[in-house]
Amino acid sequence: MMGEEFTYSGAMIVMRDAAQKRLFESSDSGSVTELVLKDEIVFYAGPIITEKRVIIGPTTSARMDKYLGELYERGVIATVGKGPRTAPAVEVCRRYRRPYLVAPSGVAAFLSTKIERIELIAYPDLGPEAVYRIFVRDFPLLVAVDKFGNNIFERWEKR
Amino acid sequence: MIKTTVVERVLRKELIKANTVINDEVFDYLKRYNGPFCSALKENVVVSKQNLIPLCQDTGMLEFFVFLGHKVALEEPVETILTRAVKETYVANCFRTSVVDDPIFQRKNTLDNTPAVVHVFHTQGNQMTVKFLVKGGGSENLTRLFMLSPTATVQEISDLVVKVVSTEGRKACPPLNVGIGLGGTADKALLLSRLALTKSFSERNSRHCYARLEEELLRRINELHLGYQGLGCGLSAYSVHIEFFPTHIATLPVAISFDCYLSRRGVVEFVDNGSYDG
Repeated sequence: MMGEEFTYSGAMIVMRDAAQKRLFESSDSGSVTELVLKDEIVFYAGPIITEKRVIIGPTTSARMDKYLGELYERGVIATVGKGPRTAPAVEVCRRYRRPYLVAPSGVAAFLSTKIERIELIAYPDLGPEAVYRIFVRDFPLLVAVDKFGNNIFERWEKR
Repeated sequence: MIKTTVVERVLRKELIKANTVINDEVFDYLKRYNGPFCSALKENVVVSKQNLIPLCQDTGMLEFFVFLGHKVALEEPVETILTRAVKETYVANCFRTSVVDDPIFQRKNTLDNTPAVVHVFHTQGNQMTVKFLVKGGGSENLTRLFMLSPTATVQEISDLVVKVVSTEGRKACPPLNVGIGLGGTADKALLLSRLALTKSFSERNSRHCYARLEEELLRRINELHLGYQGLGCGLSAYSVHIEFFPTHIATLPVAISFDCYLSRRGVVEFVDNGSYDG
């Protein structure tokens, strides 16, 4: 339910602005049109990958609102980012019955202790904006928009 | 002469510190915060400092403000030295390289977080003061410039600032530090709004009427109850700083810049003792 904090262990696809733009807008997105997103959670983030650690945290989700419907069309089950989404994007969440989750922002050092491993999936030329699959353990999340379209950010705006 | 090696060594240290050690004023706030993700925020400070890994994955595009005394001699242009300090620090410490080479066509990552943005102000004396901001893209995207009518009232300006924070502030990782530049030309106002962000939270404008406006704005912004990440718990903003400059009779530029809850910044002073052998 909206407002609920929980931890997640499992996989997520890391994908942000540049990768989504190439995937959804480029005519020659090539092999990545095959990128299978069915049943995946998409995490809006751009990691730092060192030999010892993956340093990662959510980026502003609203910038990628225009691609949200496309993600759900491809079978994505939830998105993870930070901050509020636009009203049309919240409506997309409601229509597809998919939650939008937020992760704690600006705490990448802490989140690095929750990452088990990372794999590069596509677009290595994009550097921190490439597409990755990460495996996390006890990763903190909060339901910002639930599948009914209840929105934690709106709750405060109305006050 | 101030040696390049000295400037680079000190800057490297300060850039690492700004990215990995929490600002004292922010730390005081975090200790009291008990809203969503409060334990993550507190643990982050410890993990980051112990391992010298960045507090936030967005280690920013660097912006420097150099106050260069007229008696200071350098071995190279200051921009060259600062750019090299950024490059070496970010590559050696695996801080994220978040800069792309051109904004609309290739957007190819430069892979060393350069160039930095460097502003030089020429001052009297033999000192060089370097201030910098490590500001992420999320807070940068909230920057606004308004060219108001010169007859706009203080109330209208205040309402405008509050409206920007209320409609967009949740995207910029609040609690925010708010910098406002008033007057000058459009670019001067923007620059003043950035300089305002380099001040400590407790500092107030020395002109009483501006100090009162800072306090009034802070009060109004905190009544919005944005809270950490806009989730509704805790402060909306730590502080509001206003910097002003004389302006044209027909203009009233109002620039607003924001920094995120980490408020990562630094200030370093160098003195040229007149010696040329270092």
